[in-house]
Amino acid sequence: MRRFWLGLMGLLAAPAIAAEGQRITVTGEIIDTWCYYSGVMGGPDSVVGSAHHTCALWCSASGIPIGLLTEDGTVYTVLKLGPQDNATGGDTALTLASHTVTADGMFYERDGINYIIVEEVLEDKGIVNLSHEDYDVVPSFAIPEPKE
Amino acid sequence: MKRLAASALALLAAPLAAQDFSEGSEARTWNLYAEVPALFDAKVVDVMCELTGNCPANCGDGERQLGLLRSADNVLVMATKNNQPAFTGAVVDLLPYCGQQVTVDGLMINDEDFPINNIYLVQRVKAGDADWAKASQFTKVWAAENPDAKGKGPWFRRDPRILAEIEKVGYLGLGKETDAAFIEYYFE
Repeated sequence: MRRFWLGLMGLLAAPAIAAEGQRITVTGEIIDTWCYYSGVMGGPDSVVGSAHHTCALWCSASGIPIGLLTEDGTVYTVLKLGPQDNATGGDTALTLASHTVTADGMFYERDGINYIIVEEVLEDKGIVNLSHEDYDVVPSFAIPEPKE
Repeated sequence: MKRLAASALALLAAPLAAQDFSEGSEARTWNLYAEVPALFDAKVVDVMCELTGNCPANCGDGERQLGLLRSADNVLVMATKNNQPAFTGAVVDLLPYCGQQVTVDGLMINDEDFPINNIYLVQRVKAGDADWAKASQFTKVWAAENPDAKGKGPWFRRDPRILAEIEKVGYLGLGKETDAAFIEYYFE
């Protein structure tokens, strides 16, 4: 019983201390988390890849968190992206919007959200998800109509 | 002793269960499929600092993502979106409250099946007895930081960094040639 109480106290105290990170290497697409999670623009398949590239630039530039979406559907919220100290509206995040990358960094999980602090982007495959072939552009006004 | 253990386990399970923070909320709907109004007290924190212990001054001065450490259950809520329907994040609105206890009102998105956990759109914020402040500061701050980007249209059509990226790789991100063909088809 003593062991039970000690274990329980340890679990209760856990959220108060910094989480322990785990080194991981993952491959996935740099996405705009708000549109992906909220469904504000449509289903998840329509707010990734080339169809959503312009909107991903808008959201990233304003500081909306970017994510790394892996093939199995896991999303890691990116808190730092390579050499820049953070991923909040930074230039690297803009350049890599919608790109599929392999990233090495520290993984943390807290309250149901996965986080990654990317130390190095090992490979940048560019935009490989040609979602515009299925969804055109999302939102539909992402590309302004050319002036006559 | 059994009852005490059961209560302790219930306490442990509480943060994991979806709690209702809608009482008193005046959050406007965005008609999002999993949105729930949520009014709660929290501490504004630098998420990376909270996870790693690496804590620069003033929550990173706008260069780090901010979270809301909810007072009721110590859950770290991701402040993902502000109140403006203009593709705008929440960092600018929450940064003045770095490290402070605040009350926030907005929309929480949770969906166990997706899964989505603790993603928050903040609509208004207040510290202590101060009046509510609308979480709609991004465009004002952007305009002050980009005095040369004046003109018609929303900020995201005029932002120099966005325009430079589109100029470089096109709207689809696949190059100007792919863009040209797509635009011809799209607006035909």
